[in-house]
Amino acid sequence: MNTGIVYAASISALYTALIFLIAWYAHYRKETGRSIVSNPVVYSLSIAVYCTSWTFYGSVGKASTTGIDFLMIYLGPSLAAFTWLFLLRRIIKISKDNNITSIADFISLRYGKSLWLGALVTIIAILGIMPYIALQIKAVSHSFYMVSGMRAENIQLTTLGSDVKLPAGLILAIILSIFSIIFGARRLQSSERHEGLIAAVAFESLIKLVSLIGVGIFVTYYLFDGFTDIFARFKAMDPAAFNRLFTFDASGSNPEYIPTFTMLFLSMGAIMLLPRQFHVMVIENSDERHVSTAMWLFPVYLFLINIFVMPIALGGILTTGSNNGADFFVLSLPLVTGHNEVALLAFLGGLSAAAGMVMVESVAISTMLLNHIFMPVIVRFTPRIWFPLLLINLKRFGIFLVVMLGFFYNQAVGDTYMLVNMGLISFSAAAQFLPAMLGGLYWRRGNKSGAIGGILSGFVIWFYTLLLPSFSKSGWLPTELLTEGPFGVELLKPTALFGLSGMDLWSQSLFWSMLFNISTYIICSIMLQQTDKEREQVAKFIAIFERTRSQRHTEEKRLSKPVTTSQFVALMTKFIGGAEAQNAFNQYAGNREINQEGTISEFDLPNLKRHVEKTLAGSVGAAAAGAIVDSFLSDMGSRMESVYDIYSTVRTSLDQSRESLFVRLKASEIINRTLDLQIIMDDLLVLLLTEFKLEIAIIQLKNEDGSYSVTSYQGANRKPINENHWYSECEPYFDMVYHDSEAHFTNDARLASSSLPLDLTLAEDIISFAHIPISREGEQAIGILSVYSKSIAGLFTKEFITLLTSLSGQLAQAITIVREMHEKDLERDQKEQALLQNARVLRDMEIAQQIQVSLLPDCAPDLFGIDLAGKCVSAAHVGGDYYDFFKRNENTVDVLIADVSGHSVGAALIMSEVRTLLRAQVNSAHSASAILNILNSQLHDDLTRAELFITMFYAKYNSASGRLSYSNAGHNHPIIHRTGSNTCIELDTEGLILGVKTSVVFEERSIELVSGDVLLFYTDGLTESFNASGEMFGNSRVCAQLGTVAHLSAEEIIDSIYDAVIDFTGSKKFQDDISLVLLKIL
Amino acid sequence: MTKRLLARIIHRLQLRESWIIFFILGIIMMTFPFMNIFNKPVMLFGFPLMFLYLTIGWAFSIFIIYIFMRSFSSLNQNGDENKD
Repeated sequence: MNTGIVYAASISALYTALIFLIAWYAHYRKETGRSIVSNPVVYSLSIAVYCTSWTFYGSVGKASTTGIDFLMIYLGPSLAAFTWLFLLRRIIKISKDNNITSIADFISLRYGKSLWLGALVTIIAILGIMPYIALQIKAVSHSFYMVSGMRAENIQLTTLGSDVKLPAGLILAIILSIFSIIFGARRLQSSERHEGLIAAVAFESLIKLVSLIGVGIFVTYYLFDGFTDIFARFKAMDPAAFNRLFTFDASGSNPEYIPTFTMLFLSMGAIMLLPRQFHVMVIENSDERHVSTAMWLFPVYLFLINIFVMPIALGGILTTGSNNGADFFVLSLPLVTGHNEVALLAFLGGLSAAAGMVMVESVAISTMLLNHIFMPVIVRFTPRIWFPLLLINLKRFGIFLVVMLGFFYNQAVGDTYMLVNMGLISFSAAAQFLPAMLGGLYWRRGNKSGAIGGILSGFVIWFYTLLLPSFSKSGWLPTELLTEGPFGVELLKPTALFGLSGMDLWSQSLFWSMLFNISTYIICSIMLQQTDKEREQVAKFIAIFERTRSQRHTEEKRLSKPVTTSQFVALMTKFIGGAEAQNAFNQYAGNREINQEGTISEFDLPNLKRHVEKTLAGSVGAAAAGAIVDSFLSDMGSRMESVYDIYSTVRTSLDQSRESLFVRLKASEIINRTLDLQIIMDDLLVLLLTEFKLEIAIIQLKNEDGSYSVTSYQGANRKPINENHWYSECEPYFDMVYHDSEAHFTNDARLASSSLPLDLTLAEDIISFAHIPISREGEQAIGILSVYSKSIAGLFTKEFITLLTSLSGQLAQAITIVREMHEKDLERDQKEQALLQNARVLRDMEIAQQIQVSLLPDCAPDLFGIDLAGKCVSAAHVGGDYYDFFKRNENTVDVLIADVSGHSVGAALIMSEVRTLLRAQVNSAHSASAILNILNSQLHDDLTRAELFITMFYAKYNSASGRLSYSNAGHNHPIIHRTGSNTCIELDTEGLILGVKTSVVFEERSIELVSGDVLLFYTDGLTESFNASGEMFGNSRVCAQLGTVAHLSAEEIIDSIYDAVIDFTGSKKFQDDISLVLLKIL
Repeated sequence: MTKRLLARIIHRLQLRESWIIFFILGIIMMTFPFMNIFNKPVMLFGFPLMFLYLTIGWAFSIFIIYIFMRSFSSLNQNGDENKD
């Protein structure tokens, strides 16, 4: 019973067209930004690519031959789903961070982007997957025969004129390859998700589920009467078979029987490690959160697709009478019972299962093939403009190759194995990745040699114990190999290696391969060292979640020769095309500062390099990308070199901060120990020289005039500092440092010398140097710290410069403080000097005052009939007021009062000169005017020279006559108060002040005084005293005061006048000298 | 109501630890001693014992994952994330 070839072929074609439509629609939706693929259900369905024709046809076959243990293949992944919570999410995160393209890429990246490891994983994957693809081709071509009713193995094409016989399997293989190329290799970028492919796969998963459940329901409820009916009928028909199928065979009597543990283990590994599983679960994952849903939805899918397997298997045996051809019960049951529609549904389900698997698998493997086999060869050639085209076609070729290998394996081995057992060969191959994968994710020590050694030894054992026997069984290799061992050595028999007999092929292979794989991995990892590259990756893989918490990252590599950004872009263009290269660069540049020339800071270069590698990795895989960039750099004459560890101890970021703390601590100790700047600077430089690999260190400080001079110079072979010294070559650097207050450095002076003559410096063997501004935060630099290394290029890392800058800041603080203290000291000294000076002057003035006071008459002469008193109160220490009395004889007394302008010492000296001159005239009998005349002529020159002048009132009183004759040289008019009179008389004569003209005529007048008259001589200080409101004391107040106190003695009157002035001004301090002489006629 | 109750029970179970325990338990259930209990050719309610054991055990394990993922996601929504 069949449907005919045309019908089957056209249904297949229609179905294919539908798949295309769905894929195209998914792609279209993605382009318009509304993805239908990016959701957890589609993700779970795409993981169900795990269920291939093996599940669709093979499970029933297995169930009807060995029984319920077929379930182990699905229980394993279901259990493994538990681990996805941490394992799969971690893998996805790492892969997304690094643009991972395949499992080979993932493993090789973990072990230092090893090219060899990537190639090894790829070869294993290709060989390992061969039986699996063969299984699909076998299943689909077989099912096609059954549905179409063809009995021949070949399709005859008569239309071409001659008879050409083509195997149906080959046509299928070609169709599947084209399918895969269209879906999976339209573009080069492999880390990009293929939404069309995934949509097709998810749809196919849906079809195969519906199809198998449909057939299950058909068998269980249409042909039979439900589960229990089938079980009961089968038990009744063949109790022995029932027992065999529903218990696990522990006796080992059945050679086809595979222990449950082996299947559980293999399937748990396969769900993560098969290249296509890795591809759909990791590479095609659009959102980490989808994993949470897939964790239960995928097991639900497995559960549903398997629930009817047992009934179909039993129903098949019940219907056909035996388990011959059990692999295709799903198809044959509807066919033999005459339900072609159901059979067609089953055929489409099987086709879906096979096509989905082959597409994803071939895309995944071809990516690996391109990136890990072709790419390492290609990168040895200089990149050309047609490279992108070559690469994409190589990838297409890879897909074709993978499918064809499967086809040939099927041709060779196809009929000797059951479907499931062919698949298990592939599972065993994938299991070889397990130790390196898990170790890579959770074991820090795991290294490249361990991974290569482990995978290689596991692979060799797998090849020898599983793949070879499969060839051998089918007759491609002599069967003696299986029965007698190679060269007759029984111990090396592939089916009983090292004499381990009594085990099935798969368990034996699994045991030996895992033993060698794991032990080699562990032993090599423990015995051998990791390289720098590996260590860098270890951190990325193992601390992936920690790293996101603390973003601290220390650069450990530098480019020995700077490369410009445009050069990087040009490199990327050659591999991924101009537009994408520019895109990738813009993405990097997005939030970074890049100046017009396209150069970026030396510290940013390693970042850019990493970005370029990551971008390229998206297309060619991490290992090849690393090789491309490395060879590009070496062409440029540059290379990545380790950043020199400035502390010469362990090179890890955490330890660095501890070391740097130590240096800072030492520096503060030095700075706080003394206030001597020279010692601080010298010690600080010595500290730098001893702690770091530096040879010379110089500190220059800015002088007040803006020039700078070397203030401290430490290091070996010091040369005298002058303009011929090599350090002056760096002057452009100094200017830059002063200009922008930022550190400037050169990590390789030999390279810098092209832009700046550094011949002398280079002659000193100096390789790298840095100039750091000595400045406080945000302030202008006050000096420069220059350090030079003769041994290490690339000494100055970001961290080191930061440290040096911080030390300079400390030094700047110290210098500023010391300088401020210095200035304060100076100022205080000056103040003290001034105070001392002042005190000395004050003392002199006091002495002068004492002398001056002593020059004034102690007491008034006694003369009958008068009461005479005089007093002088100076405002300053020394003043210009002067009064004197000369007793000529018993009846005559001369009274004079004078005021030298100013209160200076000069005035005082003039005053004493006046006194001397007057004393000389005491015994002469000159009149008052004559005396003034004499004084004027004698003092004129002195006064003119000193720019002073004198007012003077000179009076002679004769007590016998009671007459007062007087002359005035511009002095205030004395006041006479008479008893009984309210007004006062002012004594006024003509006369110019002394020292203005050489010859002056002084008028002389006389007045008769009567008893009770009070005559007051005063200086202008009295009448010109003013109070707070600016009012002068004035003559009238003096007169009034005299009136009220006229009855008192002369001295008392004087005192009362002083008191009155104090009362009037409200201040005890006089504004001007006040001298008073009082003559009272008794 | 029941969902909230279940979520609370699982919250009590210290999510991560019990997660690992369930995983190990699953593996133990699939290995020799446990399998041996059910490795008998008898029928229960018209179903072979082993078929019943594996089917129900499987469904139960899926249910466990489902419940856990629900409470994980509610935890994540509450902000105190507990992922690896």
